Amino acid sequence: MIEFKNVSKRYTTNQAINDLNLTIPTGDFFVLVGPSGSGKTTTLKMLNRLIEPTDGNIYFNDKRIIDYDLKQLRLQMGYVLQNIALFPNLTIQENIAIQAESLGWPRKERIERARALLKQVDLDPDKYATRMPSELSGGEQQRVGIIRALAIKPKVVLMDEPFSALDPISRKQLQDLVLRLHKELSMTFVFVTHDMHEALRLGQHIAVMRLGHIQQVGTSQDIMEHPANDFVRGFFETEQAVQPETIQRLLDHGYGTATAAAPSLSTTSTVSELAAALKTTSAAVVATESGSRELSTADLLDYLAMKEVD
Amino acid sequence: MQDILHILKTQGGDIVHSIGQHIGLSLISLLIAALIAIPLAILLMNHKRSANIMLQITSILQTIPSLALLGILIPIVGIGTVPSIIALVIYAVMPIFQNTYAGLTTIDPNLEEAATAFGLSRRMKLFRIELPLALPMIISGIRIAMVLIIGTATLAALIGAGGLGTYILLGIETNNNALLIIGAVLSALLALIFGAAIDWLGRLSFKKVGIILATLVVLIGGFAGYRKIASPETTITVAGKMGSEPEILINMYKDLIEHDHPRMKVATKANFGGTSFLFKALKSGSIDIYPEFTGTVLESLVKGQKSASHDPTKTYQVAKSALKSQYRMAYLKPMAYQNGYDLAVTKSFAAKYHLKTISDLTAVEGKIHAGFDPDFYQLKDGYPGLSKTYNLKFASAKTMEPSIRYKAIVNGKVNLVDGYTTDPEIQEYHLVTLKDDKRFFPPYQGAPLMTEKLLTAHPELRPTLNKLAGKVTTTDMQKMNYRVTVKHEKAATVARDYLKSHGLLD
Repeated sequence: MIEFKNVSKRYTTNQAINDLNLTIPTGDFFVLVGPSGSGKTTTLKMLNRLIEPTDGNIYFNDKRIIDYDLKQLRLQMGYVLQNIALFPNLTIQENIAIQAESLGWPRKERIERARALLKQVDLDPDKYATRMPSELSGGEQQRVGIIRALAIKPKVVLMDEPFSALDPISRKQLQDLVLRLHKELSMTFVFVTHDMHEALRLGQHIAVMRLGHIQQVGTSQDIMEHPANDFVRGFFETEQAVQPETIQRLLDHGYGTATAAAPSLSTTSTVSELAAALKTTSAAVVATESGSRELSTADLLDYLAMKEVD
Repeated sequence: MQDILHILKTQGGDIVHSIGQHIGLSLISLLIAALIAIPLAILLMNHKRSANIMLQITSILQTIPSLALLGILIPIVGIGTVPSIIALVIYAVMPIFQNTYAGLTTIDPNLEEAATAFGLSRRMKLFRIELPLALPMIISGIRIAMVLIIGTATLAALIGAGGLGTYILLGIETNNNALLIIGAVLSALLALIFGAAIDWLGRLSFKKVGIILATLVVLIGGFAGYRKIASPETTITVAGKMGSEPEILINMYKDLIEHDHPRMKVATKANFGGTSFLFKALKSGSIDIYPEFTGTVLESLVKGQKSASHDPTKTYQVAKSALKSQYRMAYLKPMAYQNGYDLAVTKSFAAKYHLKTISDLTAVEGKIHAGFDPDFYQLKDGYPGLSKTYNLKFASAKTMEPSIRYKAIVNGKVNLVDGYTTDPEIQEYHLVTLKDDKRFFPPYQGAPLMTEKLLTAHPELRPTLNKLAGKVTTTDMQKMNYRVTVKHEKAATVARDYLKSHGLLD
C-alpha cells in the first residue's frame, strides 16, 4: 500500500503539489489523470524519489520512503518513461536486464529473463534480443520499455505517460498489453496520463488532478456517473464529445475515387479502422450511397495533414 | 626530388629514428593528456561552475604560443623530452576535456533519469551508460588533440627532443627544401595514419578501447623504463645549434674528450635549437657545452656590449669577461675560422678585374651589380656601413632571399653577393671571397662555451678543448660543410677525418 500524507511540493515560483492525501491499494491499477501542470507526474516521481517533497510524507508498506535505502526502494519500483528511453548503446536484452546486471545476476540468468519477458509481450527473442533499440519501431520499443521495468519483479510499476508518443493503433495494443500484464503479475501499477479516455479504459481507481490538487478519486464508474465538481464533469465531457472520426469526413472533403471493387468498409467506419485497413492493402474500398469509392494511404495522409493545419 | 631520394637513401636510418621519436613523443603526450582530461571531465560533469572555470583555464593555456610555452618550461624543467611532453600535454588537454565534458553533459536527460530511477550505482551508470554514450565525442576530442600534438611536436626539435621537426627546422635553417619537405610530409602522413587508427578505435566497443589503451600504456611505459635503465650513464652533454657546422664541431669535441678521457662519456645533441634555447639550456644545466660565436655573444647574450669591436682578439676578450662576470660562464679559446659576412664574386670575375680585397672593388664599382640578403642590405654592420668604410658605390644593389642569392650569381644575374664565410656554396659554385682588408665586418669566431662549475669540476676539459684553439681555418670549415650539406656525409665522419688528418686524434 502506498499512502501520501499531507504532501506538498513547492518550487521557487510555483506550488506543484498542495497538501496531497492519497492511498493506492496494493495490487491496484491506479491512474493519475489531469491536464498538463496538474502535478500528476510530480506525484509519480515522488514515489521513486526522483523528486523529493517539500512537506509531508509518503509511506510504502507503512514505512516512510525516505527511511528506505534509496537503491533498494528504486529496485522495488519499476519505471516506464514517456520517451521510452532505451539505452541506445545497449542491445534489447542488455536494456531489459540492466537492473538485473546491477544486482549482479549471472549473465546466463539475465539473458533467460530477458528472453522470457520478450516472449511474454509477443516479441520473438531470437529476432529481437540482440538488436539495438534504434532498429525497433516506437511501439516495439515501448514494449521493451515496459518489460525492462518488470525485469527484477518489482512490487510497484510506475508509468509516466508511457503511450503519449505512440500512434493510436500501437497505443491501443499497448493498453491491452498493460492490462493483461497487470492481471498476470499481481503488481501495483501507477499510471500517469493526460488522456481521460486512456484513464477510463485502464484504471481500477482514477485520481483526477488539477493544479496540484486532487479533484476526485474513484472507479471509472464513480467518476462518469458522479463527477465531484464542474472541472471533473468538464474534463469528462470533452472526452465524451470527442467522437471518433468516421470515413464520411474524408469523403465530405472530396477524397477518394470511384471504383468497381467490392467494399470492405462503410461510411461509419472510423478513421483508425481505415488506417488499420491501409496497413495491409494499398487502397481501401468504402461503400457509399453513390457507389464504391477507393481511399488510398495518400488520401488519408493528405486529410490528416489538412486537419493538422486547421 | 632527386635531393629527397638522396637524403632518404643516405639518412634513412636517422629519419626512421626521428619518426620513432615523433610517434613516441606524440603517443605519450596524448595518453597523459587523455588520462588527465577524461577523469577530470568525469569529476566535473556534475559541477557546472567548476567545469566552466576549467574550460576557461584550458582555453587560456591553449592560447599560449607553443614557442613561448617551451621557453617558459626550459628554466623549470630543462630541455629535451620532458618539457616537450609537458607542453604537448597542455595543448592536448583542452580538446579532450572539452569534448569529454560536452559528451557527458549532453546525454539525453531521459536516459539519465532512467538510469537513476533504475537504482543503478554511480559507477555502473558511468561505465555502462554515460561513457559509452559520450565515446564518439571523446574519440573526436582525442583525434583533434592528436592532430594538434603531431603538428606541435615538430617544435620539440627546438629544445632537443628530436622528432620530425628536426628536419623541418634544419630545412628552414639551411634552406634545404628537400629536408623541409621530408619533415613536413612525414608528419602530415603520421597525422593521417593516426587519425585513421583513432577512427578505427572509435568503432570498437568501450571495453576493447579500454584494453587497447591499457596495452599501449604498458608498452610505452615499459619501453621508456627500459630505455632509462639501458641508456649508459653520461657525464657530459654537448649540444649544437641548427646546421652542419655546429654538428661537425660538437662531434670534434666528443671525439677529443672521449679520446683524452676514456672514462668520460659524451652525449651529443645536434640541431638542438636556436641561440637563446641553447643558452638557457646551458644556464639550467640541461646541457654542458656548446660552441658559440664571439660576435653572437656580444650581440645577443651579454648585456651592454652592443658596439662590437672589429678586432677578433679584442672581441673574444670582451665576450669572455662579460660571460664570466654576468653568467659565471667559461669561454675557451676560439678556433681560427671566421663565420661572419663576406663578399663573394665568381672566379672568372675576380681574375678579369684582379680582385683580391674589398678595396679592389673601388676600381670597378660602376660595373658591380650586387645581390644582398635583406638583413645585410639594411643592417649597419652590412652594406650601409661597408659602402661608407670602403667608400663604394655599386651600379646596383638588389635584395634577395639568401638561397636565391648564390643561384643568381652563378646564372650571371648579379656579379657580387654577400654570404657567410663558411657557406658550402662558396666551394660548390667556385666562388672567391674578397678579403675584408679594412676589417669592417665584426668577427664571428667559434669557441666552446660552458659553465664555470663544469670547468671547476673537470679542469681536464680545458686543455682537451683548447687543442682546437687557432685550428680549423675558414677554408677547412667550408670544405667540411660542403661534405655534410651537399654530399650528405655524416658529420661525425667528417669531424673525425679532420681531427685525424691534423694529428689531433690517432
